[in-house]
Amino acid sequence: MVLDFFRGTGRSVIEEVEAKIVQMLRDGRAVYDAAQGAVFGGGKSKKTKREVRSTDWEINIAQQEVRRALMLHMTVRETVDLPLVLSYMSVIKDAERIGDYAKNLYDLARYGADFEDAPDLAELEHYRDVVGQLIDEAADVFRERDANRAQQLVHKADGFLDEYDAHVKAAYNSTGAASEAVARALYYRHLKRVTAHVMNLMTALVMPLDRLDYYDEAKEDRT
Amino acid sequence: MTEPNRGDLAPVAGSPSSRLSTPARTIIVVGLLYLFLVGVKLLEVGINGLGSDFTDVLFESVDNPLAGLFVGILATVLVQSSSVTTSTIVALVASNVIGVEAAVPMVMGANIGTTVTNTIVSLAHVRRSGEFQRAFTAATMHDFFNVIAVAVLLPVELLTRALSRAARAVSEFLAGGGLSGGSFNSPIKGAVNWGAGLIEDALAGIGASDRALAIFALVIGIGLVFLTLTFITKNMRVLVAARIERSLNAALARSGIIGMLVGTVVTVAVQSSSITTSILIPLVASGILAVRNAYPITLGANIGTTITALLAALGAGKTDGLTIAVTHTLFNVAAISLLYPWRRLRYVPVSLAARLAKLAIRRPVLAILYLVGVFLVIPIVGIVILR
Repeated sequence: MVLDFFRGTGRSVIEEVEAKIVQMLRDGRAVYDAAQGAVFGGGKSKKTKREVRSTDWEINIAQQEVRRALMLHMTVRETVDLPLVLSYMSVIKDAERIGDYAKNLYDLARYGADFEDAPDLAELEHYRDVVGQLIDEAADVFRERDANRAQQLVHKADGFLDEYDAHVKAAYNSTGAASEAVARALYYRHLKRVTAHVMNLMTALVMPLDRLDYYDEAKEDRT
Repeated sequence: MTEPNRGDLAPVAGSPSSRLSTPARTIIVVGLLYLFLVGVKLLEVGINGLGSDFTDVLFESVDNPLAGLFVGILATVLVQSSSVTTSTIVALVASNVIGVEAAVPMVMGANIGTTVTNTIVSLAHVRRSGEFQRAFTAATMHDFFNVIAVAVLLPVELLTRALSRAARAVSEFLAGGGLSGGSFNSPIKGAVNWGAGLIEDALAGIGASDRALAIFALVIGIGLVFLTLTFITKNMRVLVAARIERSLNAALARSGIIGMLVGTVVTVAVQSSSITTSILIPLVASGILAVRNAYPITLGANIGTTITALLAALGAGKTDGLTIAVTHTLFNVAAISLLYPWRRLRYVPVSLAARLAKLAIRRPVLAILYLVGVFLVIPIVGIVILR
């Protein structure tokens, strides 16, 4: 408290904020894994539910802490870090949303979706792993402030968006059981949203402030 | 895909001065502190040089305690710094132009006047009623606390001289063995006298009359005090910004003594209660700091701001100057000791401020009227009537 004033300079508030954003992404990955575990045969166990809810809650709390720290930073430092603060306000929204969509994936299992014995299991698992890896990479890239890797990650993620759309469209046109079509439509939709938020987050490292989230203006329907 | 453009998100570099290294800025602050003390000394020299016939006329009105109080408020409002006012009062007392007793109400007035800054800051939120209500409450609770403190302690002081007597005992204790003929040997006094002497010699070289030289010394002294305090505050704010952030961040969800200590330490560091209290206003307005948690930080700032007058007194090297500086500290400590420990009394200033803020969000013009009335009209009318 008061001793904080006399403590050596150590990590700056902005560095602490950045570490917290990385932790939000790591927690997002944890929620995502728990939710995917439920969708792929784990079912709706109380333990998984508790893990998903509590980790998502921690992400929400971290978002509020970051907002407070950024507001305080702006008040004390005035305009020195204005672009950085504005971009981080956007970044934490994306980091928080990754947790939210992971929670929505868990809701799929709660509704009864279970892909364990699905005929397209390999494909479903492939996309599960792709998105999980994207979240991990986003955390690493953000921690290292690596603009080149951020751009590569945006490119890589961008390549999957159309594939998710194609799967949603296929589910819509499916003549099979409605429950299976809905489960797949929602599953791919949620994966697309997580991917899009990872891309938005990466734009903070590579794009001008006014173009955050607009990683590719030529394409439409990214939401 | 747009090419990477990390530079667009890099922190804004700011003015060239904001890029100074920490050691360079520290050296600048030490130099500014020295010039501040030289400024106080020149004020003292200039006032003495004007002669008692002139200064008696100028300051006879402050023999009336209420007039002194209003002079303290008005002077602080006009220069937007209680540190400038109290340092000038220290110089006036050190040069025997006004006595400690007459200076006490002026110092109390400076305490009230300094709250004008955060009240002005709060007006920036006037377009959003929720924010404005919180901001105006946070700003004016400081006003109410200081007015109540004066309303209680000024009569006590006038009747008993308790504060100034205690302050004299403390200052004589602090001056210790170095006390002789109302002066004491502070470690920096010699260095300050040397610097002030150089400027006096330079002025003497012009060949002007004694009265003109005194006026020059006075003007240079006031200018140095004002400018050095402005730049000390600016530089210290940059130097300790990370520390301010850390301690305030830790104090956001806390109340009470911790907040008070944070307020004191931050204010001592930046040498300005206005900086501390003005930082709180946007935090309260945005809702991330509760009004009741900002309150003790504000009270701590009241104590912290007295450091400047204490420094000025060290430079002046006169027991009376030190006494009035210590009185300023004791007044603020006594006010908190009287009002804060009792739960019923503690939040009276906050409640009054909240009521005023409710009125102000219904009729924002009331906020302006309050500001102009309390900080300008009442002091001016008071001075005119009581003079």
